[in-house]
Amino acid sequence: MFHFKIVTDWIDEFLRTNLGEGWALLIEFILTGFAILALYAVLALILIWAERKVCAFFQCRLGPTRVGPWGLLQSVADMVKILLKEIIHLNHADLRLFRLASFLVIIASLCTFGAIPFDRGLHAVDFNMGVFYLLAISSLGVVGILLAGWSSNSKYTMIGAMRSGAQLISYELSCGLSLLTVVILSGTMQLSQIVEQQADGWFIFKGGVPAIIAFVIYLIAGHAETNRGPFDMPEAESELTAGYHTEYSGIQFGFFYLAEYMNMFIIAAIAATMFLGGWMPLHTPWEGVNTLMDYIPPVIWFFGKTFFCVFLALWVRWSFPRLRIDQLLKLEWKILMPISLLNILFMALWVLYL
Amino acid sequence: MINYIKDIFLGIWRLMQGMYITMLNFIRPKVTEQYPENRGKVFPSERMRGELVMPHNEANQHKCTACGICELNCPNGTIRVIGKKETDEASGKERKVLDRYIYDIGSCTYCSICTISCPQNAIEWSNNFEHAMFTKAKLVRQLNKEGSSVAKKEKR
Amino acid sequence: MNLETLQTLLPFAAIEQKGNTYNLTVPGENLYEAASLLKKDGFDFLWDIIGMDYGDTLGVIYGLSSSAAPVVLLFLKTETSDKEAPKFDSVVDLWDSADLYEREVHDFFGICFANNPDMRRLFLRQDWRGFPLRKDYDANPELNPIPLGNENLADMETLPVLNIMNEDDKFEVHETVFDKSEYVVNFGPQHPATHGVLHLRVSLDGEIIRKMDPNFGYIHRGIEKMSEAYTYPQILHLTDRLDYLSGTINRHAVCLAVEKGLQMEVPERAHYIRTIIDELTRIASHLLGWGCMCMDMGSITAFVYGMRDREKIMDIFEETCGGRLMANYSVIGGVMADIPPNFQKKIKRFIPYMRKMLKEYHLLFTGNPIARGRMNGIGYLSREKAIALGATGPVGRASGWSNDTRKIEPYAAYAKAVFKEVLRSDGLTFDRYIIRLDEIEESLKILEQLTDNIPEGNYAAKTKAIIKLPEGEYFQRVEGARGEFCVYINSRGDKYPYRIKFRSPSMTLVNVLKAIVPGTKVADLIMLGGSLDYVIPCIDR
Repeated sequence: MFHFKIVTDWIDEFLRTNLGEGWALLIEFILTGFAILALYAVLALILIWAERKVCAFFQCRLGPTRVGPWGLLQSVADMVKILLKEIIHLNHADLRLFRLASFLVIIASLCTFGAIPFDRGLHAVDFNMGVFYLLAISSLGVVGILLAGWSSNSKYTMIGAMRSGAQLISYELSCGLSLLTVVILSGTMQLSQIVEQQADGWFIFKGGVPAIIAFVIYLIAGHAETNRGPFDMPEAESELTAGYHTEYSGIQFGFFYLAEYMNMFIIAAIAATMFLGGWMPLHTPWEGVNTLMDYIPPVIWFFGKTFFCVFLALWVRWSFPRLRIDQLLKLEWKILMPISLLNILFMALWVLYL
Repeated sequence: MINYIKDIFLGIWRLMQGMYITMLNFIRPKVTEQYPENRGKVFPSERMRGELVMPHNEANQHKCTACGICELNCPNGTIRVIGKKETDEASGKERKVLDRYIYDIGSCTYCSICTISCPQNAIEWSNNFEHAMFTKAKLVRQLNKEGSSVAKKEKR
Repeated sequence: MNLETLQTLLPFAAIEQKGNTYNLTVPGENLYEAASLLKKDGFDFLWDIIGMDYGDTLGVIYGLSSSAAPVVLLFLKTETSDKEAPKFDSVVDLWDSADLYEREVHDFFGICFANNPDMRRLFLRQDWRGFPLRKDYDANPELNPIPLGNENLADMETLPVLNIMNEDDKFEVHETVFDKSEYVVNFGPQHPATHGVLHLRVSLDGEIIRKMDPNFGYIHRGIEKMSEAYTYPQILHLTDRLDYLSGTINRHAVCLAVEKGLQMEVPERAHYIRTIIDELTRIASHLLGWGCMCMDMGSITAFVYGMRDREKIMDIFEETCGGRLMANYSVIGGVMADIPPNFQKKIKRFIPYMRKMLKEYHLLFTGNPIARGRMNGIGYLSREKAIALGATGPVGRASGWSNDTRKIEPYAAYAKAVFKEVLRSDGLTFDRYIIRLDEIEESLKILEQLTDNIPEGNYAAKTKAIIKLPEGEYFQRVEGARGEFCVYINSRGDKYPYRIKFRSPSMTLVNVLKAIVPGTKVADLIMLGGSLDYVIPCIDR
């Protein structure tokens, strides 16, 4: 099985022997930063294209077909356009906060992105409390959204931001609780450890019923966290035109746009890591199948699972109407939260007695 | 409590039905028309009102007698019939013939009153629908060709 | 209801009867008395108020009908010779629908209605000079220059409500629609969910709506004024542009009114073709209405499906009429051209396709718990309120008000088809949603029965080159996709109408929105707008 650990270890070795500890670390940090930034941007472009294409197919359309073969370069062209666009300055807006907001949103999403284990050794931040880190840093984005809504000095953005605040903070709970179910099962919070533990079976199979419930709840809550699909109240284009980022233009809007898509990817990646075994291949009781599965590189496994989760999210998004704000909160506080609390208990019993 | 659980499962079942429909459409053939490429394939139907034309025969003759009924009937002033006096060589009488037939597609509402009211059937609709121009002035067209004349009425 | 009972009820009125239509003329000072007596007598549906400029006098015609006996039509007329400060008593406390109608008459004729608390102009700018539908209106553009400056929308929030109840009978700032302390949000004129250029000012308390004030006129074209300078065949092409989603139906109404005036015999074949086209239009319009409502609730996929299936009808239109949206098909005396050879075949292919798609719609959206949850218990409109507001069409029928003109007064070939008037009783948003899909089903039934039985014959009767309508008043109502569409023509024997009035079914629907929206949330405002399915050009005319 080929792991990126070989490559990264070799780079590390090479730098350390040639430059000494301090310089090697510095260069590694810079390299990692660049790699993450590049991957972030490229993945976002791919996701935007994929969303447009998938959405079109669900709607009996073809989607982008003009720029490049199958419209592949469409999002690149869009990116160029958005970079060239004028950034409109608003009267009576709190300009400092207005500019800060878009950065906050994208920084929160970038930091979360760094903690995702793509492969053994391809993992920028591997804390021993990685799950906590993920939950903590990903909820920073709501500050950016609230700031954006407030500083724009517009009523639409204000309503959008307030909705968003209520929504994100509520759904954070279910999100956290369902991830905790996995933590109970695995006994560790380190993401790399969690993945390694799934070598002999993904947690969704190992954890039985409580893990499946946790997985579904995580998908729903995570979907709500990304402000998409039936939970896109903060944007709600038919009600609030574009919600909290109505007044943004050019690359500032681009940041929100990018963060939205990358959050979708991050949620899907965490779901894949925690429940579907991350980069671990599918291991079954049959040896022959296992060796066959091992031939597929782990990175492919990881992205395959993640994109499967992304596809689920898109499918849901393009099938259902939007919830109203009170229904949204009712769903969280009256249905998802009680179920996840019970589920944690259930999982604890499962771990104790099975 | 039982109802609560029942509602949740019924809800999930209904949501799955919706997702089934979208998946059904995901694999269905798509309805998008790829416009400039399918230009040759998609025929606008025969009656499609694209633009007003004045058919000419091989001898560069049209049927318009410059009576001006279409101009009178047009609600928007889209049509201007400019006639000129001409002496008929055979009889020596002076009569009005068409000099220029001006049609402004920019203000045409395609109401068809001109074509139904024309006593000579001199104008009709064509299927050409690609009218995009860079300047407004280009939308004003002259329908009778240069040097054309009125076709003699066939005696029945 | 007959002549004698009416005469004893209103001894001061001059009454003439023409079939089921009664013309009542009352003096201006007795107007309110007459109106309240008629209201008490069961005339609970005010379908329109028509302003008139008779030359020397200004008049108002109240079109009344009764929900118990919808066949009876009553025109309550009154006049005043005071052209400087014409004034009548308002009937807004009798019929809720009078509110916008009186504002419209005030806007176009300068007639004031005492006791109406809101006498702002409806379509034109508040600072417009002159009253356009008066015969002596000065259309000089210097009087009303086009403002090119940047105007602050916020100023409009505090537009004065003009009240004429003070001594001098003069307009005076009395109060404002919204308080300074209210959180007023503008929905429109450019907003993705207002389905056009409608401007709704909404006062919010958090997410909850307190009050709503609609602002019309962004696409006002003065079609009624234009029509006074157009010949009857020319007017036809404007009718497609009123409610552009049921254009052929509007056109049908005008054709029927003119044919009635000319006492023209229209070939049976034309009647059948017109009916089929009308029903196709209704299906197309309901599909779009369904799709837009789903989109307003966030389900864009449903909207695309609706548009996709509407396209099949548009293709039939293109082949038959030559236009897709502006079909331009009915003409006075028949239809413009005979149906193409595979017209019937295409419709027969469409009917089973549509039935299959309806099933999919139900699976995709009707059963969806999110959609049901959102529509559940929101936007209740009682039957009485629906009648008082004059909410005809699917909206009224969802509240249990039987108001289908196709059944009341079968025109064209509707008497030959067996179909059911879909009625629901709850008057909730879900009823207004589902009734459209059910009506598509009924329309398909009509199509099924009529397509095979189109009689042979001429598709149009011969008409004179210049159509002059004999002196008199002509009225025709048809069932548009959004409700009762009425045409009132006052002719003086010319080739132009002296006055033509279109009853817009959509205008009352905005009034319905105003009535049902307080207490709901922002998201519901959009959804309720979608469920009422108004079309702005129909309101603005």
